[in-house]
Amino acid sequence: MIVTRNWLNEFIDIKETSDDELCVAFNAIGLELASIKKFNIPNKIVVGEIISCEKHPDADKLNVCSVDLGFGKRQIVCGAANVVYAKYVAVATIGAVMPDGLEIKPTKLRGVESDGMICSADELGLPSVGSGIMILDESIGELELGKDLSEFALLNDTLFELEITPNRGDCLSVYGVARDLSAYFGKDLIEIKEENISKKVKLGISREVALNINSEMDASVEIKLATQDSEHKLPLLCLIQLSAAGLFTQDNIQNMLQYIMHTTGIVLWAFDANYFKNDEDKINIDIDKTQDDLNIVKNSFGKTSIIGVSQDKDGIANAKTEQIILIAQYINPNILNDVISDKKIDKDPIFYNTSRGSNPNLESGILYATNILSKYEILDFYDGVLSHKVNIEDRTILIDCLELASIIGQDLDKSTVTSILSRLGFKVSSKIENVLGITIPQFRPDITNIQDIAEEVLRIIGIDTIEAKPLKIKENTHRDSKIFEYRLKKQIRNRAVASGFYETISYVFSDSSLQEKYDFDNLKSEFELLNPIVAELNTLRSTLLLNMLLSAKRNSNYSKKIIPLFEIGSVFDSDRVESQKIAFVWSGQRELENVSNHGKPSNMDMSTFLQKIGFAIGSFDLKSCSFKNALLHPYQSANIVIDNKVCGFVSKLHPQAQEDFDLSDTFMAEIDMSALAQKHILATEISKFQSNIKDLSILVDKDMSFANIKEIIEEIGCDKLHSFYPVDLYSDTSLGDKQSLTIRFVIQSLEKTLEDNELEEAMNKILDSLIQKAGAVLR
Amino acid sequence: MEDLDILEKKILSCKNIEEIEKIRIDIFGKKGVLAGEFIKLATLSAEEKKDFAQGLNTAKERLQTSFDSHYANLKKALLEEKLKSEKIDMSLYGGVSNKGALHPVAETMDKIIEYFVALNFSVENGPMVEDDFHNFEALNLPKHHPARDMQDTFYFGDSKLLRTHTSPVQIRKMLSSKPPIRMIAPGSVFRRDYDLTHTPMFHQVEGLVVEDKGEVSFANLKSILTDFLQHMFGSVEVRFRPSFFPFTEPSAEADISCIFCGGDGCRVCSHTGWLEVLGCGIVDPNVFKAVEYENVSGYAFGLGVERFAMLLHKIPDLRSLFEGDIRLLEQFR
Repeated sequence: MIVTRNWLNEFIDIKETSDDELCVAFNAIGLELASIKKFNIPNKIVVGEIISCEKHPDADKLNVCSVDLGFGKRQIVCGAANVVYAKYVAVATIGAVMPDGLEIKPTKLRGVESDGMICSADELGLPSVGSGIMILDESIGELELGKDLSEFALLNDTLFELEITPNRGDCLSVYGVARDLSAYFGKDLIEIKEENISKKVKLGISREVALNINSEMDASVEIKLATQDSEHKLPLLCLIQLSAAGLFTQDNIQNMLQYIMHTTGIVLWAFDANYFKNDEDKINIDIDKTQDDLNIVKNSFGKTSIIGVSQDKDGIANAKTEQIILIAQYINPNILNDVISDKKIDKDPIFYNTSRGSNPNLESGILYATNILSKYEILDFYDGVLSHKVNIEDRTILIDCLELASIIGQDLDKSTVTSILSRLGFKVSSKIENVLGITIPQFRPDITNIQDIAEEVLRIIGIDTIEAKPLKIKENTHRDSKIFEYRLKKQIRNRAVASGFYETISYVFSDSSLQEKYDFDNLKSEFELLNPIVAELNTLRSTLLLNMLLSAKRNSNYSKKIIPLFEIGSVFDSDRVESQKIAFVWSGQRELENVSNHGKPSNMDMSTFLQKIGFAIGSFDLKSCSFKNALLHPYQSANIVIDNKVCGFVSKLHPQAQEDFDLSDTFMAEIDMSALAQKHILATEISKFQSNIKDLSILVDKDMSFANIKEIIEEIGCDKLHSFYPVDLYSDTSLGDKQSLTIRFVIQSLEKTLEDNELEEAMNKILDSLIQKAGAVLR
Repeated sequence: MEDLDILEKKILSCKNIEEIEKIRIDIFGKKGVLAGEFIKLATLSAEEKKDFAQGLNTAKERLQTSFDSHYANLKKALLEEKLKSEKIDMSLYGGVSNKGALHPVAETMDKIIEYFVALNFSVENGPMVEDDFHNFEALNLPKHHPARDMQDTFYFGDSKLLRTHTSPVQIRKMLSSKPPIRMIAPGSVFRRDYDLTHTPMFHQVEGLVVEDKGEVSFANLKSILTDFLQHMFGSVEVRFRPSFFPFTEPSAEADISCIFCGGDGCRVCSHTGWLEVLGCGIVDPNVFKAVEYENVSGYAFGLGVERFAMLLHKIPDLRSLFEGDIRLLEQFR
């Protein structure tokens, strides 16, 4: 929403208020200032009168003008086509410096001397009002020849761009903004009054127009009939203001409507009266309500416009229209939004205003329109108006000022509340004690309860004047398991960082074709995203890894040689059930080139990668891989098992995928966060007796996994076996399809120091089991 | 016996441990000079013996003292030598850490969460895939309310949607528990916007406090948020401007004085001297109505974590935060 200082000044006297004060005011009352722009016309640009204008002897497009500047005459060559109609113009005299830095000097144009420049609005740094030079009129002030344009207060205006929140339809007009300012500054609003303009008296409108109205209407309308005098346009000042607001067009009728709408906030249509003529050549307008509750304006041939939404293009008046019908309209935005919500209807730009609430005071809007259009002789109005007003009962609410004060947190005096609300257009009556009866104006459909009133009062007294007070609370713990989940997650993140990983956050979106290519779940079609933003983000991810590999690829393109990434985030299965996972990716070198590794660091390997993950998530087991996707290396992948539950996988990246992502050796793991819950640990007794270490080397089949051997050993259930782990693996051609595995056993008793024979007995038991169940041979 | 001085000289002239070890054997050994002298004792008369033995002991003592001190010196020199030989240029190894780094957005979120946890707020979460009721309807955003335009929404085939803010977590919390409530909800949110300053996913932290009717006022909100913003940004000025959110009334936006120019006006603050950082307000009665709470009052606030992180760390490019770019992340080690 754009307003200017002079435009506002029509409705509130702000002559003595500085631009800075206005900026503060706008922000304070909730009309956020987005930008401010001052128009300052440079010096030595003066009012001139064109006395004569002749074609340039040597150039078709140039005219040689004689211009009276009051203090003398000048010959100026001008290239603008519209100079031939111009009388009063802006003349940049010799020595003037234009806003773009150009200094005006005497010059010759195709051999003809030119002593200055006749300016367009753009050249003066003003909003553009069409092609050609700017033709001055008295709307900007008395046109005294030779007077500097920088002295015309109305031209040297300040523009304020405001961000109007969706609840404030009433501030989508200059008048509405002025009303808010009037409450803030405590100044009276200058209401729209009938101006005493001598008009050519016409017939009454009802002689010409027949109006049929459905009594069930939700919308109010006011209809005026006028004839157009196509020679007259809106005056310069209005055009500049319109252009400043970004609403200027080449269409005079549109400019006129936009100017009235932007100034007053009423919604106005202009129709060609012929559009409503019936077979008998009579103007007949039907205002009706359709079966699906749309409020419409209809002509005799059934063509319709929807009130508050869209005007039938066939009926729109233009510069050539002789007889014009103006229809001002209002419909409560809540009703309009309800009715429109489930229908697919093309909407005109005015819907932005009507859906937020346009000005319901059609009388004053029409009054403003007749004032300005008669004054500038653009339209000649027929007498009278045809109207239909929907009877809406005033909404009155009772407000207890003490409750109001408790919402704001500061004592409030009843008279302050009364004065603020009155200036904002509310009718306030005093009831018993602290209670006020507040009648809500129709232009504020957003106000329904005491908290809405609190906001009105708060924004006018100013939030900055409210003293901050800490909330007094009753002691009450709000701690629950979620805070511990958060802390655990943070702990894991910190440990992942300590073991070298960088935390990433990638979109929860993914590319469905990529997920399909690598055999990850995609959402079932009924659960799929309807309106993705780009193809690469067209579904929800079912794995963290693909986005992370894309990150790895990007980093590799940036010549990063060590790419360690981890992410904790949500993934979604094909039924769109959300779960949290943690994933790790390490691509490339283990470490940077340095003196210790003589500049040749080795690439990451599985064993180191597993150690790194272990630092972050604690201990886990690895069992044969049951996951199936095209990222997995078939011979270097495993299930991650925690507390006997499979909760994820670890793998080297499949060489094909490695090629696809253009990466060097890459390792990855993805694990359910739920498996990493904080464990409650009960300590076991520590033996006071010596522990014994025994190594056992056996020959087993190459296919035999250590997990199998581990299971066999654990099945024995030997109470003296404290722990065991593999320490060496060896194979050579002489061993054929066998390999030699060395396992270290830590044997210890809680009761005593074990004798040699007891140790031997335990070891034999283990060996026997391995021979029987794993086909092992002692080496 | 050789001249004592000569023997002593021999000891002191040893240049290393090996030499002095040899000398030790020569002098103090079983077949050494001193042993030879002691053997002579046997051949002497009692009278002579006493004097000789006394002289010999004195000589031995003197030699031993000289030996011990010189031996210690040589040993020290040897250690010194060894230490020297182990010299490395430590400066070769500085400046390298193999530590990774937390993501600045996640780290900023942690800092926000810790502030509110210290004030006894609970940390709540909710699903990313939401329904219209929790994301809009219950938050006083009825269908086709113009305010829905503020939030361009991702929809699914079954009319579910990706939450456009963390506010539905408020609704879930209020529906599942009774007041009083004191919670924050950190999480990812989604809007259909993708350009230099918008990403389709970003993060918010939402806060909600509900107490008995008449207990919670706008002045309370001002108090906690001013303190919070100064906790995050240091000694900044905090300004509140009235604004509009469907789920709060009165609503306000909080600005901090620009941390880059101190309020003088610069490019970052669009020459206003202020940076908009969060939205807040008194909970709208329609929200309480939707969750069937009666006789309560409350405040709510919400902020964008990326905005905080970018301001705090002067991160120039929003999109880089979601690209896993190590060149950015490694700066936060």
